[in-house]
Amino acid sequence: MNKTIEELHAMLQNEEITSEELVKEALEKSHYVQKYCNAFVTIMDDAKGGKVTDSLLSGIPFGIKDNYATKGILTTGSSNTLKNYVPVFSATAILNLEKHGAIPVNKTTMDEFGMGGTGTTGHTGNVYNPWDLKRMCAGSSAGSAAAVAAGVYPFALGSDTGDSIRKPAAFTGIVGYKPTYGMISRYGLFPFASSLDHCGCLTRSVKDAAIVVDAMKGIDAKDETTWDSKDIHLYESLDGNVSNKKLFYIKEIANIDNYKEASEELREHLKNFHAKLDLLRKKGVTIDEVSFDEKLLNAIPSVYICLSCAEATSNMSNLTGIIFGERGAGDNYHDMIKDYRTHGFSSLIKRRFVIGSYILQKENQEKYFVNAQRIRRLIVDKMKELFQTYDGLILPVSVGGAPYIDGSRDYITNSETKVLEEHLQIGNFGGFPSITIPSGFINGLPVGLNITGNCYDDANVLNMAYALEEEMPYKNQIAKIKEDENERV
Amino acid sequence: MKKFTKEMVDDYADKLLIGLTEEENQMVLDEFNIIDESMELLTKIPNISSVPPMTHALDDFTYVLREDDAEESLPIEDILKNCDNYEDREVVVPRIVGEAHE
Repeated sequence: MNKTIEELHAMLQNEEITSEELVKEALEKSHYVQKYCNAFVTIMDDAKGGKVTDSLLSGIPFGIKDNYATKGILTTGSSNTLKNYVPVFSATAILNLEKHGAIPVNKTTMDEFGMGGTGTTGHTGNVYNPWDLKRMCAGSSAGSAAAVAAGVYPFALGSDTGDSIRKPAAFTGIVGYKPTYGMISRYGLFPFASSLDHCGCLTRSVKDAAIVVDAMKGIDAKDETTWDSKDIHLYESLDGNVSNKKLFYIKEIANIDNYKEASEELREHLKNFHAKLDLLRKKGVTIDEVSFDEKLLNAIPSVYICLSCAEATSNMSNLTGIIFGERGAGDNYHDMIKDYRTHGFSSLIKRRFVIGSYILQKENQEKYFVNAQRIRRLIVDKMKELFQTYDGLILPVSVGGAPYIDGSRDYITNSETKVLEEHLQIGNFGGFPSITIPSGFINGLPVGLNITGNCYDDANVLNMAYALEEEMPYKNQIAKIKEDENERV
Repeated sequence: MKKFTKEMVDDYADKLLIGLTEEENQMVLDEFNIIDESMELLTKIPNISSVPPMTHALDDFTYVLREDDAEESLPIEDILKNCDNYEDREVVVPRIVGEAHE
Protein backbone atom coordinates (compact mmCIF):
# COMPACT_ATOMS: atom_id res chain seq x y z
CA MET A 1 0.00 0.00 0.00
CA ASN A 2 3.03 2.26 -0.20
CA LYS A 3 2.45 2.74 -3.91
CA THR A 4 0.84 5.51 -5.92
CA ILE A 5 -2.55 5.00 -7.54
CA GLU A 6 -0.91 4.64 -10.96
CA GLU A 7 1.46 1.97 -9.63
CA LEU A 8 -1.32 0.07 -7.89
CA HIS A 9 -3.46 0.24 -11.02
CA ALA A 10 -0.64 -1.19 -13.13
CA MET A 11 -0.12 -4.00 -10.62
CA LEU A 12 -3.83 -4.78 -10.63
CA GLN A 13 -3.99 -4.83 -14.41
CA ASN A 14 -0.89 -7.00 -14.63
CA GLU A 15 -2.41 -9.33 -12.05
CA GLU A 16 0.60 -8.92 -9.74
CA ILE A 17 -1.93 -8.26 -7.02
CA THR A 18 -5.71 -8.54 -6.70
CA SER A 19 -8.20 -5.98 -5.45
CA GLU A 20 -9.20 -8.48 -2.77
CA GLU A 21 -5.62 -8.52 -1.49
CA LEU A 22 -5.45 -4.73 -1.48
CA VAL A 23 -8.69 -4.43 0.47
CA LYS A 24 -7.53 -7.08 2.95
CA GLU A 25 -4.26 -5.23 3.44
CA ALA A 26 -6.10 -1.91 3.93
CA LEU A 27 -8.36 -3.49 6.55
CA GLU A 28 -5.45 -5.04 8.43
CA LYS A 29 -3.59 -1.76 8.34
CA SER A 30 -6.74 0.05 9.50
CA HIS A 31 -6.83 -2.05 12.67
CA TYR A 32 -3.12 -1.50 13.24
CA VAL A 33 -3.41 2.29 12.79
CA GLN A 34 -6.56 2.38 14.92
CA LYS A 35 -4.60 0.90 17.81
CA TYR A 36 -2.11 3.78 17.77
CA CYS A 37 -3.86 6.73 16.09
CA ASN A 38 -7.57 6.17 16.83
CA ALA A 39 -8.27 7.33 13.30
CA PHE A 40 -11.57 5.58 12.56
CA VAL A 41 -15.17 5.62 13.66
CA THR A 42 -15.97 2.52 11.60
CA ILE A 43 -13.82 -0.11 9.93
CA MET A 44 -15.79 -2.01 7.28
CA ASP A 45 -14.45 -5.49 7.90
CA ASP A 46 -16.85 -6.98 5.37
CA ALA A 47 -15.47 -4.87 2.48
CA LYS A 48 -14.63 -6.96 -0.56
CA GLY A 49 -12.35 -6.45 -3.53
CA GLY A 50 -13.86 -5.18 -6.75
CA LYS A 51 -13.57 -5.46 -10.50
CA VAL A 52 -10.50 -3.99 -12.15
CA THR A 53 -11.29 -1.87 -15.20
CA ASP A 54 -9.49 0.84 -17.14
CA SER A 55 -10.39 3.32 -14.42
CA LEU A 56 -7.31 4.18 -12.37
CA LEU A 57 -9.30 3.88 -9.15
CA SER A 58 -10.92 0.52 -9.85
CA GLY A 59 -10.32 -2.02 -7.14
CA ILE A 60 -8.45 0.46 -4.93
CA PRO A 61 -9.44 0.93 -1.27
CA PHE A 62 -10.01 4.34 0.28
CA GLY A 63 -11.28 6.06 3.42
CA ILE A 64 -14.26 8.37 3.91
CA LYS A 65 -14.46 11.18 6.43
CA ASP A 66 -17.40 10.48 8.69
CA ASN A 67 -19.40 13.50 7.55
CA TYR A 68 -20.09 12.01 4.11
CA ALA A 69 -23.39 10.10 4.15
CA THR A 70 -22.85 6.44 3.27
CA LYS A 71 -25.94 4.35 2.66
CA GLY A 72 -26.34 1.58 5.22
CA ILE A 73 -23.07 2.48 6.97
CA LEU A 74 -22.88 4.33 10.29
CA THR A 75 -22.22 8.04 9.68
CA THR A 76 -21.79 10.06 12.84
CA GLY A 77 -20.00 13.29 11.94
CA SER A 78 -17.99 12.27 15.01
CA SER A 79 -20.83 13.57 17.15
CA ASN A 80 -22.63 11.93 20.05
CA THR A 81 -25.80 13.45 18.64
CA LEU A 82 -25.60 11.07 15.67
CA LYS A 83 -23.74 8.17 17.22
CA ASN A 84 -26.25 5.64 15.84
CA TYR A 85 -27.23 7.38 12.59
CA VAL A 86 -27.26 5.18 9.49
CA PRO A 87 -28.04 7.15 6.30
CA VAL A 88 -30.47 5.85 3.72
CA PHE A 89 -28.56 7.43 0.86
CA SER A 90 -24.94 8.06 -0.13
CA ALA A 91 -23.25 11.37 -0.89
CA THR A 92 -22.84 12.09 -4.60
CA ALA A 93 -19.04 12.24 -4.27
CA ILE A 94 -19.05 8.71 -2.83
CA LEU A 95 -21.30 7.41 -5.59
CA ASN A 96 -19.00 9.00 -8.18
CA LEU A 97 -15.95 7.25 -6.70
CA GLU A 98 -17.82 3.96 -6.54
CA LYS A 99 -18.75 4.35 -10.22
CA HIS A 100 -15.01 4.39 -10.86
CA GLY A 101 -14.68 1.17 -8.89
CA ALA A 102 -12.98 2.54 -5.76
CA ILE A 103 -13.75 0.59 -2.58
CA PRO A 104 -14.48 2.25 0.77
CA VAL A 105 -12.96 0.43 3.74
CA ASN A 106 -13.45 2.79 6.68
CA LYS A 107 -15.04 5.98 7.99
CA THR A 108 -12.52 8.35 9.49
CA THR A 109 -12.68 10.31 12.73
CA MET A 110 -13.01 14.08 12.58
CA ASP A 111 -13.62 17.06 14.80
CA GLU A 112 -17.30 17.07 15.64
CA PHE A 113 -19.23 18.10 12.49
CA GLY A 114 -15.99 19.53 11.11
CA MET A 115 -16.00 22.39 13.59
CA GLY A 116 -12.51 22.13 14.96
CA GLY A 117 -8.87 22.15 14.03
CA THR A 118 -7.29 19.68 16.43
CA GLY A 119 -8.79 16.25 15.80
CA THR A 120 -9.62 16.07 19.49
CA THR A 121 -13.33 16.85 19.62
CA GLY A 122 -14.80 13.74 17.99
CA HIS A 123 -17.04 11.53 20.13
CA THR A 124 -14.64 8.59 19.82
CA GLY A 125 -11.68 10.53 21.24
CA ASN A 126 -8.44 12.12 20.08
CA VAL A 127 -6.78 11.29 16.78
CA TYR A 128 -3.01 10.88 17.12
CA ASN A 129 -0.36 11.81 14.59
CA PRO A 130 1.43 8.75 13.18
CA TRP A 131 4.72 10.68 13.02
CA ASP A 132 4.57 11.33 16.78
CA LEU A 133 1.77 9.85 18.82
CA LYS A 134 1.87 12.64 21.36
CA ARG A 135 0.93 15.17 18.73
CA MET A 136 -2.26 16.13 16.90
CA CYS A 137 -2.96 15.74 13.20
CA ALA A 138 -4.88 19.05 13.21
CA GLY A 139 -8.41 18.87 11.94
CA SER A 140 -11.02 18.48 11.14
CA SER A 141 -10.07 15.73 8.64
CA ALA A 142 -7.76 14.22 11.26
CA GLY A 143 -8.50 10.53 10.79
CA SER A 144 -8.22 10.76 7.01
CA ALA A 145 -4.84 12.48 7.34
CA ALA A 146 -3.51 9.96 9.87
CA ALA A 147 -4.66 7.00 7.77
CA VAL A 148 -3.19 8.23 4.47
CA ALA A 149 0.06 9.26 6.17
CA ALA A 150 0.36 5.86 7.84
CA GLY A 151 -0.17 4.05 4.53
CA VAL A 152 -3.59 2.49 5.09
CA TYR A 153 -4.52 3.33 1.49
CA PRO A 154 -3.49 5.89 -1.12
CA PHE A 155 -6.33 8.32 -0.48
CA ALA A 156 -9.12 9.39 1.82
CA LEU A 157 -11.85 11.99 1.55
CA GLY A 158 -11.90 15.18 3.55
CA SER A 159 -13.95 18.31 3.78
CA ASP A 160 -12.62 21.83 4.21
CA THR A 161 -14.49 24.84 5.60
CA GLY A 162 -11.47 26.79 6.92
CA ASP A 163 -8.42 24.57 6.36
CA SER A 164 -9.70 21.16 7.42
CA ILE A 165 -8.04 19.27 4.59
CA ARG A 166 -5.00 21.44 4.04
CA LYS A 167 -3.69 21.87 7.57
CA PRO A 168 -3.94 18.18 8.59
CA ALA A 169 -2.11 17.38 5.34
CA ALA A 170 0.76 19.66 6.40
CA PHE A 171 0.97 18.17 9.89
CA THR A 172 1.06 14.61 8.58
CA GLY A 173 3.41 15.12 5.62
CA ILE A 174 0.90 14.44 2.85
CA VAL A 175 -1.05 16.25 0.12
CA GLY A 176 -4.40 17.92 0.82
CA TYR A 177 -6.42 19.41 -2.01
CA LYS A 178 -9.71 21.26 -2.05
CA PRO A 179 -10.81 22.21 -5.55
CA THR A 180 -12.78 25.28 -6.60
CA TYR A 181 -16.08 25.64 -4.73
CA GLY A 182 -18.82 23.68 -6.47
CA MET A 183 -16.53 21.42 -8.49
CA ILE A 184 -17.51 18.52 -6.22
CA SER A 185 -21.11 18.10 -5.13
CA ARG A 186 -21.79 18.63 -1.44
CA TYR A 187 -24.98 16.57 -1.57
CA GLY A 188 -24.72 14.14 1.31
CA LEU A 189 -21.94 16.05 3.08
CA PHE A 190 -23.08 17.14 6.53
CA PRO A 191 -23.22 20.94 6.24
CA PHE A 192 -21.13 23.09 8.56
CA ALA A 193 -20.99 26.53 6.88
CA SER A 194 -22.51 26.14 3.44
CA SER A 195 -20.88 29.14 1.75
CA LEU A 196 -17.43 27.93 2.87
CA ASP A 197 -17.75 24.10 2.78
CA HIS A 198 -15.71 22.23 0.18
CA CYS A 199 -15.24 18.52 -0.53
CA GLY A 200 -11.74 17.30 -1.33
CA CYS A 201 -9.14 14.64 -0.70
CA LEU A 202 -5.96 13.71 1.13
CA THR A 203 -3.33 11.74 -0.79
CA ARG A 204 0.42 11.18 -0.80
CA SER A 205 1.08 12.81 -4.19
CA VAL A 206 -0.30 15.61 -6.32
CA LYS A 207 -0.99 13.21 -9.16
CA ASP A 208 -3.08 11.01 -6.88
CA ALA A 209 -5.06 14.08 -5.77
CA ALA A 210 -5.74 14.91 -9.41
CA ILE A 211 -6.92 11.36 -10.12
CA VAL A 212 -9.23 11.30 -7.10
CA VAL A 213 -10.85 14.69 -7.71
CA ASP A 214 -11.29 13.90 -11.41
CA ALA A 215 -13.47 11.03 -10.21
CA MET A 216 -15.28 12.90 -7.42
CA LYS A 217 -16.24 16.01 -9.37
CA GLY A 218 -19.16 16.77 -11.66
CA ILE A 219 -22.33 18.77 -11.88
CA ASP A 220 -25.11 17.41 -9.69
CA ALA A 221 -28.81 18.22 -9.83
CA LYS A 222 -28.92 17.63 -6.09
CA ASP A 223 -26.45 20.46 -5.37
CA GLU A 224 -27.28 23.58 -7.32
CA THR A 225 -23.93 25.18 -6.42
CA THR A 226 -22.13 22.66 -8.62
CA TRP A 227 -20.96 23.67 -12.09
CA ASP A 228 -20.00 21.77 -15.20
CA SER A 229 -16.32 20.81 -15.06
CA LYS A 230 -16.32 18.20 -17.82
CA ASP A 231 -13.66 20.13 -19.73
CA ILE A 232 -11.29 20.10 -16.76
CA HIS A 233 -9.01 17.05 -16.75
CA LEU A 234 -6.71 17.43 -13.79
CA TYR A 235 -4.69 14.23 -14.20
CA GLU A 236 -4.10 14.73 -17.90
CA SER A 237 -3.11 18.36 -17.35
CA LEU A 238 -0.10 17.56 -15.18
CA ASP A 239 3.03 18.08 -17.23
CA GLY A 240 5.33 19.83 -14.74
CA ASN A 241 6.02 22.67 -17.15
CA VAL A 242 5.87 25.83 -15.07
CA SER A 243 8.29 28.11 -16.88
CA ASN A 244 6.89 31.64 -17.10
CA LYS A 245 4.44 31.02 -14.27
CA LYS A 246 4.16 33.73 -11.64
CA LEU A 247 3.54 33.25 -7.93
CA PHE A 248 3.45 35.65 -5.01
CA TYR A 249 3.75 35.29 -1.28
CA ILE A 250 2.39 37.72 1.28
CA LYS A 251 5.14 39.68 2.97
CA GLU A 252 3.21 40.15 6.22
CA ILE A 253 2.84 36.37 6.59
CA ALA A 254 6.03 34.84 5.19
CA ASN A 255 8.70 37.38 6.07
CA ILE A 256 10.44 36.58 9.37
CA ASP A 257 10.89 40.29 10.12
CA ASN A 258 7.19 40.47 10.96
CA TYR A 259 7.59 38.24 14.00
CA LYS A 260 9.15 39.94 17.02
CA GLU A 261 8.82 36.81 19.13
CA ALA A 262 9.69 34.25 16.46
CA SER A 263 10.51 30.81 17.82
CA GLU A 264 13.41 28.81 16.44
CA GLU A 265 10.84 26.49 14.85
CA LEU A 266 9.19 29.37 13.02
CA ARG A 267 12.55 30.66 11.82
CA GLU A 268 13.41 27.22 10.45
CA HIS A 269 9.97 26.85 8.87
CA LEU A 270 10.18 30.16 7.01
CA LYS A 271 13.79 29.52 6.00
CA ASN A 272 12.74 26.15 4.61
CA PHE A 273 9.81 27.79 2.81
CA HIS A 274 12.04 30.32 1.08
CA ALA A 275 14.48 27.57 0.09
CA LYS A 276 11.59 25.78 -1.61
CA LEU A 277 10.69 28.96 -3.49
CA ASP A 278 14.19 28.86 -4.94
CA LEU A 279 13.47 25.38 -6.30
CA LEU A 280 10.52 26.80 -8.22
CA ARG A 281 12.56 29.77 -9.41
CA LYS A 282 15.08 27.33 -10.87
CA LYS A 283 12.22 25.87 -12.90
CA GLY A 284 11.45 29.25 -14.39
CA VAL A 285 8.78 30.47 -11.98
CA THR A 286 8.80 34.15 -11.02
CA ILE A 287 8.00 34.66 -7.34
CA ASP A 288 7.34 38.10 -5.89
CA GLU A 289 6.86 39.36 -2.37
CA VAL A 290 3.58 41.26 -2.20
CA SER A 291 2.28 43.41 0.62
CA PHE A 292 -1.33 42.89 1.72
CA ASP A 293 -3.41 45.26 3.87
CA GLU A 294 -2.63 44.18 7.41
CA LYS A 295 -6.02 45.23 8.71
CA LEU A 296 -7.63 42.78 6.31
CA LEU A 297 -5.15 40.03 7.13
CA ASN A 298 -5.68 40.47 10.86
CA ALA A 299 -9.42 40.19 10.35
CA ILE A 300 -9.25 36.77 8.66
CA PRO A 301 -9.76 34.66 11.81
CA SER A 302 -12.63 36.81 13.05
CA VAL A 303 -14.34 36.91 9.66
CA TYR A 304 -14.07 33.15 9.53
CA ILE A 305 -15.43 32.64 13.03
CA CYS A 306 -18.33 35.03 12.41
CA LEU A 307 -19.39 33.53 9.09
CA SER A 308 -18.80 29.89 9.96
CA CYS A 309 -20.49 30.08 13.36
CA ALA A 310 -23.47 31.99 11.99
CA GLU A 311 -23.97 29.58 9.10
CA ALA A 312 -23.44 26.59 11.39
CA THR A 313 -26.09 27.86 13.78
CA SER A 314 -28.56 27.84 10.94
CA ASN A 315 -27.45 24.44 9.67
CA MET A 316 -27.78 22.78 13.09
CA SER A 317 -31.47 23.53 13.37
CA ASN A 318 -32.44 20.04 12.20
CA LEU A 319 -30.43 18.40 14.99
CA THR A 320 -33.33 17.88 17.35
CA GLY A 321 -33.12 14.20 18.25
CA ILE A 322 -36.76 13.87 17.24
CA ILE A 323 -36.81 12.75 13.61
CA PHE A 324 -33.34 11.21 13.78
CA GLY A 325 -30.69 10.97 16.49
CA GLU A 326 -31.12 9.70 20.03
CA ARG A 327 -34.30 11.10 21.59
CA GLY A 328 -33.56 13.42 24.55
CA ALA A 329 -35.38 13.30 27.88
CA GLY A 330 -38.23 15.71 28.64
CA ASP A 331 -41.98 16.10 28.87
CA ASN A 332 -42.19 18.47 25.92
CA TYR A 333 -40.33 18.93 22.63
CA HIS A 334 -38.50 21.99 23.94
CA ASP A 335 -36.95 20.10 26.85
CA MET A 336 -36.28 17.06 24.69
CA ILE A 337 -34.28 19.07 22.15
CA LYS A 338 -32.39 20.93 24.87
CA ASP A 339 -31.46 17.71 26.62
CA TYR A 340 -30.34 16.17 23.30
CA ARG A 341 -28.16 19.14 22.38
CA THR A 342 -26.77 19.89 25.84
CA HIS A 343 -25.59 16.34 26.39
CA GLY A 344 -24.84 15.51 22.75
CA PHE A 345 -22.62 18.38 21.61
CA SER A 346 -19.02 18.78 22.72
CA SER A 347 -17.94 21.97 24.47
CA LEU A 348 -16.25 23.35 21.37
CA ILE A 349 -19.22 23.30 19.08
CA LYS A 350 -21.59 24.47 21.78
CA ARG A 351 -19.39 27.53 22.10
CA ARG A 352 -19.37 28.03 18.34
CA PHE A 353 -23.14 27.73 18.09
CA VAL A 354 -23.57 30.31 20.82
CA ILE A 355 -21.24 32.73 19.05
CA GLY A 356 -23.30 32.18 15.89
CA SER A 357 -26.52 32.81 17.75
CA TYR A 358 -25.18 36.06 19.16
CA ILE A 359 -23.92 37.23 15.77
CA LEU A 360 -27.29 36.58 14.16
CA GLN A 361 -29.34 38.50 16.71
CA LYS A 362 -31.06 41.39 14.96
CA GLU A 363 -29.14 44.04 16.88
CA ASN A 364 -25.75 42.44 16.01
CA GLN A 365 -26.19 41.40 12.41
CA GLU A 366 -24.88 44.56 10.79
CA LYS A 367 -21.87 44.97 13.05
CA TYR A 368 -20.76 41.35 13.04
CA PHE A 369 -22.30 39.22 10.34
CA VAL A 370 -22.73 41.73 7.50
CA ASN A 371 -19.39 43.41 8.18
CA ALA A 372 -17.71 40.01 8.08
CA GLN A 373 -19.34 39.41 4.69
CA ARG A 374 -18.09 42.81 3.52
CA ILE A 375 -14.55 42.11 4.68
CA ARG A 376 -14.76 38.72 3.00
CA ARG A 377 -15.44 40.57 -0.25
CA LEU A 378 -12.55 43.00 0.26
CA ILE A 379 -10.15 40.10 0.84
CA VAL A 380 -11.46 38.11 -2.13
CA ASP A 381 -11.46 41.16 -4.43
CA LYS A 382 -7.83 41.83 -3.52
CA MET A 383 -6.93 38.22 -4.23
CA LYS A 384 -8.72 38.30 -7.58
CA GLU A 385 -6.88 41.49 -8.46
CA LEU A 386 -3.58 39.74 -7.68
CA PHE A 387 -4.65 36.70 -9.70
CA GLN A 388 -4.83 39.00 -12.73
CA THR A 389 -1.02 39.19 -12.48
CA TYR A 390 -0.14 35.95 -10.74
CA ASP A 391 -0.97 32.29 -11.24
CA GLY A 392 -1.18 31.72 -7.54
CA LEU A 393 -0.35 32.50 -3.94
CA ILE A 394 2.27 30.38 -2.18
CA LEU A 395 2.61 30.37 1.60
CA PRO A 396 3.88 28.18 4.43
CA VAL A 397 1.22 26.34 6.42
CA SER A 398 1.06 27.10 10.15
CA VAL A 399 4.05 28.02 12.31
CA GLY A 400 5.77 24.65 11.98
CA GLY A 401 5.06 21.02 12.79
CA ALA A 402 2.10 19.51 14.64
CA PRO A 403 1.63 20.75 18.22
CA TYR A 404 1.32 18.41 21.19
CA ILE A 405 -2.20 17.28 21.95
CA ASP A 406 -1.69 17.77 25.65
CA GLY A 407 -2.44 21.38 26.51
CA SER A 408 -3.77 22.26 23.05
CA ARG A 409 -6.94 24.27 22.79
CA ASP A 410 -9.07 25.00 19.80
CA TYR A 411 -9.48 28.57 20.71
CA ILE A 412 -9.22 32.00 19.14
CA THR A 413 -6.09 33.90 20.11
CA ASN A 414 -4.60 37.25 19.31
CA SER A 415 -0.99 36.11 18.95
CA GLU A 416 1.33 37.56 16.31
CA THR A 417 1.22 34.27 14.40
CA LYS A 418 -2.58 34.06 14.19
CA VAL A 419 -2.65 35.01 10.49
CA LEU A 420 0.06 32.49 9.66
CA GLU A 421 -2.08 29.89 11.41
CA GLU A 422 -5.34 30.86 9.73
CA HIS A 423 -4.55 32.25 6.27
CA LEU A 424 -5.78 29.13 4.48
CA GLN A 425 -9.29 30.44 5.21
CA ILE A 426 -8.75 32.86 2.30
CA GLY A 427 -9.19 29.85 0.04
CA ASN A 428 -12.65 29.23 1.50
CA PHE A 429 -13.70 32.88 1.38
CA GLY A 430 -13.12 32.96 -2.39
CA GLY A 431 -13.86 29.32 -3.23
CA PHE A 432 -10.30 29.15 -4.59
CA PRO A 433 -8.57 25.90 -5.54
CA SER A 434 -5.93 25.26 -2.90
CA ILE A 435 -3.41 22.49 -2.31
CA THR A 436 -0.99 21.73 0.50
CA ILE A 437 2.08 19.62 -0.20
CA PRO A 438 4.78 18.40 2.19
CA SER A 439 7.85 20.62 2.13
CA GLY A 440 10.23 19.13 4.66
CA PHE A 441 10.80 18.32 8.31
CA ILE A 442 11.50 20.48 11.33
CA ASN A 443 12.49 18.78 14.56
CA GLY A 444 11.51 15.47 12.99
CA LEU A 445 7.99 16.62 12.18
CA PRO A 446 6.61 17.16 8.68
CA VAL A 447 5.74 20.69 7.55
CA GLY A 448 3.90 21.87 4.45
CA LEU A 449 3.37 24.71 2.06
CA ASN A 450 0.26 25.73 0.18
CA ILE A 451 -0.50 26.99 -3.31
CA THR A 452 -3.83 28.72 -3.94
CA GLY A 453 -5.05 30.01 -7.30
CA ASN A 454 -8.02 31.61 -8.95
CA CYS A 455 -11.39 29.90 -9.28
CA TYR A 456 -11.61 27.29 -12.03
CA ASP A 457 -7.82 27.36 -12.46
CA ASP A 458 -7.37 24.06 -10.62
CA ALA A 459 -5.27 22.45 -13.33
CA ASN A 460 -2.74 25.29 -13.18
CA VAL A 461 -2.58 25.18 -9.37
CA LEU A 462 -2.06 21.43 -9.33
CA ASN A 463 0.57 21.62 -12.03
CA MET A 464 2.64 24.13 -10.05
CA ALA A 465 2.37 21.92 -6.96
CA TYR A 466 3.30 18.91 -9.08
CA ALA A 467 6.38 20.66 -10.46
CA LEU A 468 7.60 21.58 -6.99
CA GLU A 469 6.82 18.13 -5.60
CA GLU A 470 9.08 16.64 -8.26
CA GLU A 471 12.00 18.67 -6.88
CA MET A 472 11.56 17.43 -3.31
CA PRO A 473 11.95 13.96 -1.74
CA TYR A 474 8.62 13.87 0.12
CA LYS A 475 6.27 12.40 -2.47
CA ASN A 476 4.49 9.28 -1.25
CA GLN A 477 6.28 9.30 2.10
CA ILE A 478 4.75 7.12 4.80
CA ALA A 479 4.92 7.67 8.55
CA LYS A 480 6.35 4.78 10.50
CA ILE A 481 4.54 4.53 13.81
CA LYS A 482 6.94 4.19 16.73
CA GLU A 483 5.27 1.26 18.45
CA ASP A 484 7.67 1.19 21.37
CA GLU A 485 6.88 4.78 22.23
CA ASN A 486 3.45 3.88 23.44
CA GLU A 487 3.05 7.33 24.90
CA ARG A 488 -0.30 8.45 23.65
CA VAL A 489 -1.74 11.16 25.85
CA MET B 1 -17.67 47.69 32.44
CA LYS B 2 -17.84 44.25 30.91
CA LYS B 3 -19.47 44.31 27.51
CA PHE B 4 -20.54 40.68 27.67
CA THR B 5 -21.88 38.94 30.74
CA LYS B 6 -22.41 35.37 31.80
CA GLU B 7 -26.17 35.95 31.73
CA MET B 8 -26.04 37.18 28.14
CA VAL B 9 -24.09 34.08 27.07
CA ASP B 10 -26.54 31.78 28.84
CA ASP B 11 -29.42 33.59 27.19
CA TYR B 12 -27.96 33.14 23.70
CA ALA B 13 -27.30 29.47 24.40
CA ASP B 14 -30.81 29.00 25.69
CA LYS B 15 -32.25 30.52 22.51
CA LEU B 16 -30.61 27.61 20.68
CA LEU B 17 -31.90 25.14 23.28
CA ILE B 18 -28.35 24.46 24.43
CA GLY B 19 -27.19 24.36 28.06
CA LEU B 20 -23.63 25.46 28.97
CA THR B 21 -21.37 24.56 31.87
CA GLU B 22 -19.59 27.35 33.77
CA GLU B 23 -16.36 26.57 31.91
CA GLU B 24 -18.06 26.62 28.51
CA ASN B 25 -19.68 29.93 29.36
CA GLN B 26 -16.32 31.45 30.30
CA MET B 27 -14.68 30.29 27.07
CA VAL B 28 -17.42 31.94 25.01
CA LEU B 29 -16.96 35.14 27.00
CA ASP B 30 -13.20 35.14 26.33
CA GLU B 31 -13.72 34.58 22.59
CA PHE B 32 -16.36 37.30 22.32
CA ASN B 33 -13.95 39.90 23.60
CA ILE B 34 -11.32 39.01 20.98
CA ILE B 35 -13.83 38.89 18.11
CA ASP B 36 -15.26 42.20 19.20
CA GLU B 37 -11.83 43.88 19.29
CA SER B 38 -11.08 42.80 15.73
CA MET B 39 -14.51 43.71 14.39
CA GLU B 40 -14.35 47.14 15.97
CA LEU B 41 -11.11 47.76 14.12
CA LEU B 42 -12.70 46.88 10.82
CA THR B 43 -15.73 49.04 11.18
CA LYS B 44 -13.21 51.88 11.00
CA ILE B 45 -12.15 50.99 7.45
CA PRO B 46 -13.34 53.91 5.29
CA ASN B 47 -16.57 53.26 3.42
CA ILE B 48 -16.86 49.70 4.71
CA SER B 49 -20.62 50.13 4.79
CA SER B 50 -20.67 50.69 1.03
CA VAL B 51 -19.00 47.31 0.30
CA PRO B 52 -21.57 44.79 -0.92
CA PRO B 53 -21.65 41.80 1.47
CA MET B 54 -20.23 38.61 -0.04
CA THR B 55 -22.67 35.81 0.67
CA HIS B 56 -21.34 33.15 -1.64
CA ALA B 57 -17.92 31.77 -2.54
CA LEU B 58 -18.38 32.24 -6.29
CA ASP B 59 -19.10 35.71 -7.66
CA ASP B 60 -20.38 34.38 -10.95
CA PHE B 61 -22.78 31.98 -9.34
CA THR B 62 -26.15 31.74 -11.11
CA TYR B 63 -29.17 29.67 -10.33
CA VAL B 64 -30.26 27.49 -13.19
CA LEU B 65 -33.91 26.54 -13.19
CA ARG B 66 -34.43 23.00 -14.36
CA GLU B 67 -37.56 21.22 -15.38
CA ASP B 68 -39.46 19.52 -12.60
CA ASP B 69 -38.98 15.80 -12.97
CA ALA B 70 -40.90 13.37 -10.84
CA GLU B 71 -38.57 11.11 -8.87
CA GLU B 72 -39.18 8.32 -6.45
CA SER B 73 -38.80 9.44 -2.82
CA LEU B 74 -36.81 7.57 -0.23
CA PRO B 75 -38.95 4.91 1.48
CA ILE B 76 -40.43 6.33 4.71
CA GLU B 77 -39.94 2.98 6.44
CA ASP B 78 -36.17 3.24 5.84
CA ILE B 79 -35.99 6.84 7.02
CA LEU B 80 -37.85 6.01 10.24
CA LYS B 81 -35.18 3.50 11.19
CA ASN B 82 -33.17 6.47 12.51
CA CYS B 83 -36.09 7.67 14.65
CA ASP B 84 -36.39 6.51 18.27
CA ASN B 85 -40.17 6.83 18.54
CA TYR B 86 -42.66 6.31 15.71
CA GLU B 87 -45.91 4.54 14.96
CA ASP B 88 -46.66 3.19 11.53
CA ARG B 89 -45.41 5.94 9.18
CA GLU B 90 -45.44 8.83 11.66
CA VAL B 91 -43.03 10.26 14.22
CA VAL B 92 -44.43 10.36 17.77
CA VAL B 93 -43.90 13.63 19.67
CA PRO B 94 -45.44 15.13 22.82
CA ARG B 95 -48.62 17.14 22.25
CA ILE B 96 -47.76 20.80 21.61
CA VAL B 97 -51.21 22.39 21.19
CA GLY B 98 -54.32 22.27 23.33
CA GLU B 99 -55.28 19.67 25.91
CA ALA B 100 -55.87 16.04 25.25
CA HIS B 101 -59.49 15.33 24.29
CA GLU B 102 -60.30 12.09 25.99
